[in-house]
Amino acid sequence: MSRLTVTPEGDALVLSGSIDETADLMGLLGRAQGGLLVLDLAGITFINSLGVRDWIRMQSEATRGNIAIELRRVAEVLIHQLNMIIATRGTARVTSFFAPYACDGCGREDSLLVDAVANAAGLARLEPPAMTCPECGGQMAFNDFPERYFSFLSSPST
Amino acid sequence: MGDASILIVHPDRKTQRTVQRILGVTGHRVDMSDDLEQGIRLMQHNAPVLVVVDSTAALSPHADAFFRAAESHGVTSIMTLIGAAAADHVPKILGLGAVTNLLVHPMPVLAEELTVTAQKLIRRDIFGAEKYLLWGTELNERTITRSTQRAHIVQEISDAVRGRGQSARVASMAMLVADELISNAVHNAAVDANGTHLRKDMPRDIDIPLEGRDSVRLRWGCDARYVAIEVSDQYGSLKRETILASLSKQDVRDTGGGAGMGISLAYRSCDHLVFNLAPGKRTEIIALVDVRYPPTERMPASSYNVFVEKLS
Repeated sequence: MSRLTVTPEGDALVLSGSIDETADLMGLLGRAQGGLLVLDLAGITFINSLGVRDWIRMQSEATRGNIAIELRRVAEVLIHQLNMIIATRGTARVTSFFAPYACDGCGREDSLLVDAVANAAGLARLEPPAMTCPECGGQMAFNDFPERYFSFLSSPST
Repeated sequence: MGDASILIVHPDRKTQRTVQRILGVTGHRVDMSDDLEQGIRLMQHNAPVLVVVDSTAALSPHADAFFRAAESHGVTSIMTLIGAAAADHVPKILGLGAVTNLLVHPMPVLAEELTVTAQKLIRRDIFGAEKYLLWGTELNERTITRSTQRAHIVQEISDAVRGRGQSARVASMAMLVADELISNAVHNAAVDANGTHLRKDMPRDIDIPLEGRDSVRLRWGCDARYVAIEVSDQYGSLKRETILASLSKQDVRDTGGGAGMGISLAYRSCDHLVFNLAPGKRTEIIALVDVRYPPTERMPASSYNVFVEKLS
């Protein structure tokens, strides 16, 4: 597993690799700008229970320090934790995330980016946005239970 | 072995017959009861090796008396079957702390899982992931002799699972359960003569040599039904009560806190978690990730089994 790397890119910090016992998430809070910490999480490949604890601690500390957190391009592995462990959501705002889709036509499975802001109304009705298969051009279907996969969006803070 | 019997407590005659047909093939006596009171009476005549209780009965006000009666008659394995439609009962079942085997199943009942559970108990042969895999499935084996090998081995499993044509989702689940089970075996298994955990509070990122009894064995395999990940230690310090308490922890979901979070997370990240315990000698945990179904067809909750080795 690759260690967590943090790279500044525009207004965001791009996180890649594993969130585990070696990740220093608390250190990210010091890199907030104007009370806002923007994390791009597309490159997260793994998070274990120790990473989850560290993530929750970071969220709590951010709340105490009045630092708002925006999560962009959240990888599926993190969405599963946000859904499974309510405390991981903290007060962070998810603006986009990856979601599983499958093509009925050719059977391709993909993790596709969903804009949570542009699709907010549909997602609130548990209606995933339509996606086109990059392989055959057919319609892709959302490949999980919407009520389960989108439950992280029901957090009062998001 | 010849005296082993199985008791089914279920109000629905059709389900009784289905379960009886499956468990009857073990060649052992199968008693059926419509309710808990009748079940208590039957236990007075036969001490069953396995009791199968309907989830509604297990959650009824009379269940406590039933569980006490089972304990007094030496019954150590109580199984509850839950269909997908009743999956919201799972947290309550976990909260009872009395159900040692939970099978969350599609209809019809999974014959394989029921049969394996009964045979393990009847034959007193509980160890080995082979019991859950198809004949001929190769299990890859690694011995972990340094704690820092964990990250590398977990990545190796993920790459191999992907290499065998499984989805990124399955590989990700395999990674998570392998990581948590190895971490548990490395840091929580070792105890001294007084039962004090020796490495529980050690930082997880330091290198710890794991020689002799401290080494951890990992085996994994895939048979196109399951990816099976088996992790065993040679201390056997994990207790049945600790497992049931960890599985039922609600604060893991609410706050992510508390001891036993690793086990709880592993349970929620696989489809079936099996604990094989030989107290003082060995703990073996097997996680099964079902690779047959897309997420939309997966069971909404996971199964678990706790087996404790009985000495003859």
